[in-house]
Amino acid sequence: MKRKWIAGAIGVLAVALAACAPGGGASEGTSGGGGEADAGKVTLSLWSWRVEDVKAYEKILAKFEESHPKIHVEFKPFQATEYNNILATGLSGSGGPDVAQLRAYGGLQPLVEAGQLLPLDGKVDALSGFDAKLLEGAKGHEDGKIYGVPFAYQTLQVLYNKKLFGDNGIQPPATWDDMIAAAKKLKAAGITPFAVAAGPDATWTLPIVHEIFGNARYGGNAFRDAVLGGQKKFTDPDFTASVKLVKDLEPYFPKDVVAVKIPDVQALFVTGKAAMYPTGTFDLAPVLKADPSLEIGVFQVPPPPGSPATTPVTPGWADGSFGVNAKSAHQAEALELVKWMATPEFGQLYASELKQLSAVPGVTPSDPLLAEMAKNYAGNGAPYTLLVDFRYGQPNGDAIFRDELQKMLAGQTDPEAVAASVQKGVEQWFKPGN
Amino acid sequence: MPRWRVLAVFLLPAFLLYSVFIVYPLVSALDYSFFEWRGIRQVGFAGFDNYRDLLSVYPYDQQLWRAFAHNALFFAGTMLIQNTVGLLFALLLFRYRRGKRFLQAAFTTPYLVDPLVVGYLWSLLLNPTFGPVNALLEAVGLDSWALPWLGDTRTALPIVVLVNAWQWVGFPMLMFSAALAGIPAEYHEAARVDGASAWQAFRRVTLPLLTPAIGVVSVLTFIGNFNAFGLIYAMSGSTGSPAGSTDVLGLLFYRVAFVEGGVEAIGRSSALAVLMFVFIFGVSLLATSYFRRRERKLL
Repeated sequence: MKRKWIAGAIGVLAVALAACAPGGGASEGTSGGGGEADAGKVTLSLWSWRVEDVKAYEKILAKFEESHPKIHVEFKPFQATEYNNILATGLSGSGGPDVAQLRAYGGLQPLVEAGQLLPLDGKVDALSGFDAKLLEGAKGHEDGKIYGVPFAYQTLQVLYNKKLFGDNGIQPPATWDDMIAAAKKLKAAGITPFAVAAGPDATWTLPIVHEIFGNARYGGNAFRDAVLGGQKKFTDPDFTASVKLVKDLEPYFPKDVVAVKIPDVQALFVTGKAAMYPTGTFDLAPVLKADPSLEIGVFQVPPPPGSPATTPVTPGWADGSFGVNAKSAHQAEALELVKWMATPEFGQLYASELKQLSAVPGVTPSDPLLAEMAKNYAGNGAPYTLLVDFRYGQPNGDAIFRDELQKMLAGQTDPEAVAASVQKGVEQWFKPGN
Repeated sequence: MPRWRVLAVFLLPAFLLYSVFIVYPLVSALDYSFFEWRGIRQVGFAGFDNYRDLLSVYPYDQQLWRAFAHNALFFAGTMLIQNTVGLLFALLLFRYRRGKRFLQAAFTTPYLVDPLVVGYLWSLLLNPTFGPVNALLEAVGLDSWALPWLGDTRTALPIVVLVNAWQWVGFPMLMFSAALAGIPAEYHEAARVDGASAWQAFRRVTLPLLTPAIGVVSVLTFIGNFNAFGLIYAMSGSTGSPAGSTDVLGLLFYRVAFVEGGVEAIGRSSALAVLMFVFIFGVSLLATSYFRRRERKLL
């Protein structure tokens, strides 16, 4: 009963928040909602789940207002964990956003299928220049239409502590065996080789760890195409072997890894008690914020023995996009904003203000480490397929996989059973070949 | 003003709040569970499809029963530890009155803290890498006891039971204290005169007279345990770490409704909410009527 009460309360809260949100309502066409002096100025409301980025977005949006004096954009962030529900409710009535930050892939579909977003095909010309892999994240799964302008992508690699590597005479590994030898050496020196967490807050990072070490082992793009086409399944020996790698590496993870949380491993890495941190570009800013003087390098995991691929494979995915509310009263202005978000001007601002990889083509990050990660992805990129392709139904493949990986590290299951469980879960809704 | 109008004026605020925040969500969950959903759009009547999916789609078919079993264990553990210890405290405070007020206040303080906060607090204390509990155990030479308490599938659920008991032990203690104070002193005197030992007096006089309090405590514990969420979410995350060994129905609901976020989420999660409500409500009714019959025998 309490659960429902909470669900109901969240709904009520969302409606209340939506009602308070500026930029909706009928009054603004005439009065402009308060201090706006010139008549005819339109206020757009932009919703986001990035509460921590308010300052950066205000700076970015100020640039937009300079070139679009008739439009004022109000940035309105919500708690990330509640955002999906607040947005779905906000888009369903009046008082919702004009432009909204959208989740990618499967996370986008509930909004698309409820008809709450405006298709952007033919309306935002610059989208044709975007990377097709990233655009997939902003498409409706059924209709194939584009519903948002992608803003960022994430890539997964291994960060390492340059000083610890230097002190122990270790180079960024060129082969898998080099990497294992380095891990052994570090462990013998009392340093945790890999900062990996598998605790209660960290299950979502386990498929990421698997991607970083195992993508090349299961065969990257070729395997993904084969699974989508129906020629292969997750029970394939190559996929099972890639799962086993995570188990094999466990001795080099922190002790009792199943009880270790994300802040713990970040602390281990930042304080120099762990040498390598397999993670994504999204963790670079928090790590450097904790200790700006930390000297960090990055490497791509060399292909494990037996891999179908002979070069490293670097996984990545589209982070999200900005789309237009189908019910927006200011669609023309909202389209202006998302068009601008597809320009290099926005991309460059986004990359430099937020230290993320912009999805806009031709934008290079100013941060050398980010630039290196971008280069690695551009050269050897492959999708994180369980996130990219297997979140379109329930149960989603990634969710099953994370539970199973944790079970495996807790000693309750083996790689074959993990792979079988993922296959069994997704084949209930996944139909290969389309 | 006629009497009924006065009554209505006094009842209306509570009735309105109750309707808006309890009755309406309840009824709408029931309604939602019978429809097929695409995001927040209803696409048609689904009959019992959402219920069938919940019971037959892998991995929900397994997780549902596993979560149910954990709720049952959680309830059994809480009855055994929290409520027994609560009764013991109540008896001790009844007999030895020194510092009674202070101790009562001390035992009930953790109530004032939200279960989420209690959960985070204890997960910090029990952290295997930086936590003080294991550091303390190692400092006094009990290295072999410095286990990853919340990271071992065998200890995680018992630890959750203990932390939950730590927070709520004051509740049965207060309930039993009040009930003990209500037992006329003559009964105890009569038992003593008849030559009953302390245990016999407790077993034959005190305990039976505590039946009403035991009933209330049991039913409320049952409702609380089967609805558990905040504490376990804080200690074990939404997946009931490690390896689902602390997964309960509340977490399963949360995952289906909010974490996995599929297009069918609203229908399936509402179906689960309805199942939970029917079960908890039904068992509570049965238990209440059972205890009522027991009470009547006492008179």
